Amino acid sequence: MADTTTLTTHVPTLEVSDIQATVLRPRPSPYLGQYVILRIDDAAQGREMLRRMIPHVAPADEWWVPSLAGWLGIAFTFEGLKALELPQASLDSFPIEFKQGMAARAAILHDVGGNAPANWEYPFGTTDAHIALAIYAQNEQDLQRVLELARRTHHDLAQISVVYRMPFGELPEGRNPFGFKDGLHNPQIEGSAPAAHGGSDAPIKAGEFVMGYPDQLGETAQAPIPAELRQNGTFVALRKFHMDVAAFRRYLREQASSSEEEELLAAKMVGRWRSGAPLVLAPDRDDPALGADAKGNNDFSYADDRKGLKCPFSAHVRRVNPRDALKDDIVDVDSHRFIRRGTNYGPPLPEGVLEDDGAERGGVFLLIGAHQRQQFEFVQSQWVADGNFISHGTEQDPLIGNNEGDGVFTIPKVPVRRRLHGLPRFVAVRGGEYCFMPGLRALRWLAGLGEDAEQTASH
Amino acid sequence: MATKVIENERTAMAQHMTRQPDGPGKRIGKKGEISGIGKVAPGGAKLFRERLPQIQAEAAYWETRVGTVHDFRVTLIDDDTRILFTIVFDGDFKPYVADILNEAAPWLDQIFLGVWDGFKGTNDRKSVEELLSFAFECDLFFVRNPDVTVRDVAKMQRLSGAVAELFDAAT
Ligand code: HEM
Repeated sequence: MADTTTLTTHVPTLEVSDIQATVLRPRPSPYLGQYVILRIDDAAQGREMLRRMIPHVAPADEWWVPSLAGWLGIAFTFEGLKALELPQASLDSFPIEFKQGMAARAAILHDVGGNAPANWEYPFGTTDAHIALAIYAQNEQDLQRVLELARRTHHDLAQISVVYRMPFGELPEGRNPFGFKDGLHNPQIEGSAPAAHGGSDAPIKAGEFVMGYPDQLGETAQAPIPAELRQNGTFVALRKFHMDVAAFRRYLREQASSSEEEELLAAKMVGRWRSGAPLVLAPDRDDPALGADAKGNNDFSYADDRKGLKCPFSAHVRRVNPRDALKDDIVDVDSHRFIRRGTNYGPPLPEGVLEDDGAERGGVFLLIGAHQRQQFEFVQSQWVADGNFISHGTEQDPLIGNNEGDGVFTIPKVPVRRRLHGLPRFVAVRGGEYCFMPGLRALRWLAGLGEDAEQTASH
Repeated sequence: MATKVIENERTAMAQHMTRQPDGPGKRIGKKGEISGIGKVAPGGAKLFRERLPQIQAEAAYWETRVGTVHDFRVTLIDDDTRILFTIVFDGDFKPYVADILNEAAPWLDQIFLGVWDGFKGTNDRKSVEELLSFAFECDLFFVRNPDVTVRDVAKMQRLSGAVAELFDAAT
């Protein structure tokens, strides 16, 4: 008895009323929303806008209270913090990847070919993207109401401009444009209730995802400074993807001799059937009931699939979250987890259509964590864009890798494996930014810069 | 001033040299290199030699689990006043440093703690960063089969073993 009490007191309670809702809470379903990117040409006006914005930023505890018309998340790029005239000592204390920006990290991230920053949309990768707003609502009317609130925070401030606006919304049945159920799995964050989903994986220390708490190594973030700024804050890797749904369907059609086989190949690439049912638990045919069971569909490991006969080593979900699959290797899997908040945009490509209709469709992912070099950057560069960690040479993620018509995808099978060739690019990065997502008190601190920042920045 | 390469039948085989995307280290294909030199701590040379048999005996265990190291050398030089390490490995270096420190800490501490002057142990990240800040890139680098990784070799060995068995069974 005594033991359990000591144990629980060691788990720090998260200050959910100070952490932004976007960090800890899944998006609502159904969802609707808009990403807005702002540029600040005058620091004082930027801070004034921030002061007006703060009352509308949702904390994780009031997530989706019925009185809320919708919810707003706010994050800053390094350029944005500079535009707000954060003291130099504070700017200098941010992690290298954040200071350099995602575009400058292209070589490290293996963002080449169709993913290269040269192909990104404005304002991604430029010095014009300062503040990113993520606005979520349950219906169009509420969305308009929150957008109007956001607009009023800067409508009379001439030095604040909207440089980007992107509506997003849920596709039928909560599927992504490729037809897969998404948003299923996220790590369990210690001390954060309620659990985001079911599943048997051990909780990860909160400090991996939010600053101010011990991480997996027992360390609490000491930067950026001052402490007021970092407490309850985190970093977001924002990635906008275009999905070439027609190319995906055509490829499946070419490689398969029946629609059942097409479904199987699609599932092998992802590691889950379109319903969400994981291959490890449903290796031969889809199990829609399992797919719909939020607890059951995450309750699996790769322990009894050591040869990849059910779920290929190269499947998207097995790469990006190997669970126990790499337990014989020197790799600290828990340090490579992050929270995923994905949203889809664009119209669905009608069922059966194999030719691209030219519409922009895809997903925007917010990959959230306190150590992005170990989290998003590691997973992207080592597990998505390479295959050596699974003894697959240069084979990349079949769904989101940099395949340019020359990709291969290995499906273990007895007596002989099957290897697909000629994989084209199904997914292209349209833009990306690293953002700092502060806690609510830190937002007030940022808004009050100039008044008391100079003395506190020396912590 | 570097002089220009005079093209001839031998330079036709020159390998395409790149660098690590995020720090020092030459790279040819999949294979990269990095080295470092530090001062030996007082008493460090004696300690190192005492521990050496055990470190050596465990090397294969730890490095096999790391899975990307082709070769790794550590040696005391300059009359035991300085210590040199060199590694040839697959892929990117930086992303794996933290993992290797977390997972192979006991072995790395046996090699460097008390030997490399100023090193306070793998769990002191600042001190690890300091040690790595001494890392440098070599001037001349050659590797055979630049695109074949340690894991590729292991796989090929398994495969050729299986093929040999098949042939043996057939004859
Ligand atoms: C257009 C791009 C992408 C598509 C279409 C895609 C698709 C999917 C799908 C269908 C799932 C399974 C359902 C779910 O849990 O949500 C999934 C899971 C996941 N994806 Fe992606 N994804 C994309 C990009 C990424 C990127 C860039 C990363 C990180 C670098 C990533 C990391 C993950 C993780 C960690 C999971 C959970 C794996 C697990 O269940 O164990 N994804 N993705």
